[in-house]
Amino acid sequence: MIALSELNSCKAFAEAIAAYVPGGIFFGYIDGDTITWAKSSDDFTVDVLKVGYKMAADTAAMQAINQNKTITKEVPRSVYGIRLLVIAIPVANESGHTVGSLMIAFPKLHPVAASFNDFAPIVAEMFHEGAFLYMTDLNQIAYRQASAKFDMPALTVGYRLTPDDLPYKVIQSKQPMAYEIDESKYGVPVYITAYPLFEDDHVVATFGLFLPKATASTLQEMANNLEYGLSGISAAIEELTSSASEIHTNEQSLNESIKEIIDITEQINDVSAFIKEIADETKMLGLNAAIEAARAGDAGRGFGVVAEEIRKLSDQSKSTVPKINELTNNIKIKVDEASKKSQSSLSSSQEQAAATEEITASIQEISAMSEELVKIAKQL
Amino acid sequence: MGSSQYVIFSLGEEEYGINISHAQEIIRIPEQITKIPNMPAYIDGVFNLRGKVIPIIDLKKRFDFAQTGRNADNRLLVIDLDNMLVGTIVDDVSEVLMIDDASIENLYSEIAGIGKNCIQGICNMGNRLILLLDALKMKDEVFQNN
Repeated sequence: MIALSELNSCKAFAEAIAAYVPGGIFFGYIDGDTITWAKSSDDFTVDVLKVGYKMAADTAAMQAINQNKTITKEVPRSVYGIRLLVIAIPVANESGHTVGSLMIAFPKLHPVAASFNDFAPIVAEMFHEGAFLYMTDLNQIAYRQASAKFDMPALTVGYRLTPDDLPYKVIQSKQPMAYEIDESKYGVPVYITAYPLFEDDHVVATFGLFLPKATASTLQEMANNLEYGLSGISAAIEELTSSASEIHTNEQSLNESIKEIIDITEQINDVSAFIKEIADETKMLGLNAAIEAARAGDAGRGFGVVAEEIRKLSDQSKSTVPKINELTNNIKIKVDEASKKSQSSLSSSQEQAAATEEITASIQEISAMSEELVKIAKQL
Repeated sequence: MGSSQYVIFSLGEEEYGINISHAQEIIRIPEQITKIPNMPAYIDGVFNLRGKVIPIIDLKKRFDFAQTGRNADNRLLVIDLDNMLVGTIVDDVSEVLMIDDASIENLYSEIAGIGKNCIQGICNMGNRLILLLDALKMKDEVFQNN
């Protein structure tokens, strides 16, 4: 109970402190049923509570007058558009009659909402890619905080929640929820969270974050590309391995062919040795014929010419033998060179096969790592 | 002055010739040569030429060549030394050559004596010199015991 005579002191006191109450405060005097004086903090006003406004009978102010006692009451958002804690103290004149009430109203705020404007700008900048923080009441977005790097321009204060929106679902389920959506909706992949805020076991608000995930998404994409590229490389290496074994087989059959060629040159040498044998024999025949012809004297002269021709022919055939031998030796030398080269390419192809096996092993390791990378990127 | 045919053969690097009238025939070295005990080293032994037993002389051994090895080209030149057939092992018989008597130079008898050899003369054919053997002297020389 406040004495009417002290009312002016109270007003003076109220006007002095109104600007300094954190979260804001409203003072009003209700004379009979009408506000005749009002004072509120600069950052807190309730539109209807103005001088001249008539209070309804069920208000705290009127109940304080009617019941002649201090009434404390929580006023839901539906009344003034904002939740209020109202204290109404009856004011009595000199004769003890209650003539009015002094009304004090505080905005009733969840602590998170109360401090949102203090912490949100700081927190928003703490994320590598920026963040968008928001808070809703049961119907709409009440607070929003964009960061320098990231904003959700469509989500303005007053944006009405639809059943598709995460905060709506959180209000319904009373459980924290989070999910990730790809870039098709907001242009970048976004991780969205919403937490229910309780007061007296009732959900009164939600608080949440929009976190852009461009880096993680890029990483994931790169990891996927890496995996794809590696599988291409493995396929190419498999082909390489199979062609290396084909080279190996070809080189082996080449070696076989070379051995056969060497055998053939040996046979040619045998043939040329045979030619030499015949030439030797023919020469001897020619010489003996010449001796016989000489012994026959004049009668053998013509035969002697024939014998000499035979001997010359045998010399000619014999002279082809070293030529043949030289040729077959050249063949042998060339074939030996070819054989050495094929041996060296055989061992090169074996080295190649070993190297490709090592590469395959390395690629498998890298593939495993890239799979791991994909997993990690998904968790980011 | 006339000319005669010579059978030309080689001993080592040198070419030798023997008058064709002394040459009987040329054959391969026989596989079967029968050794005769107590004979000089240059007598290889004897062999059977179509029923006749003929001695074999290794001329290179007889002429004291340092290298007396044999190869596939070695031939046996059967010569008729005054009605006596002798097989001589030579390195190769190359040809029958008509040699002008004019191209034969006789060795001085002093040199011939020192050499104790049976060379009748040297046929100078420009780029080749052919030592011509005297078959009759050879018979004496070959079968004298020294």
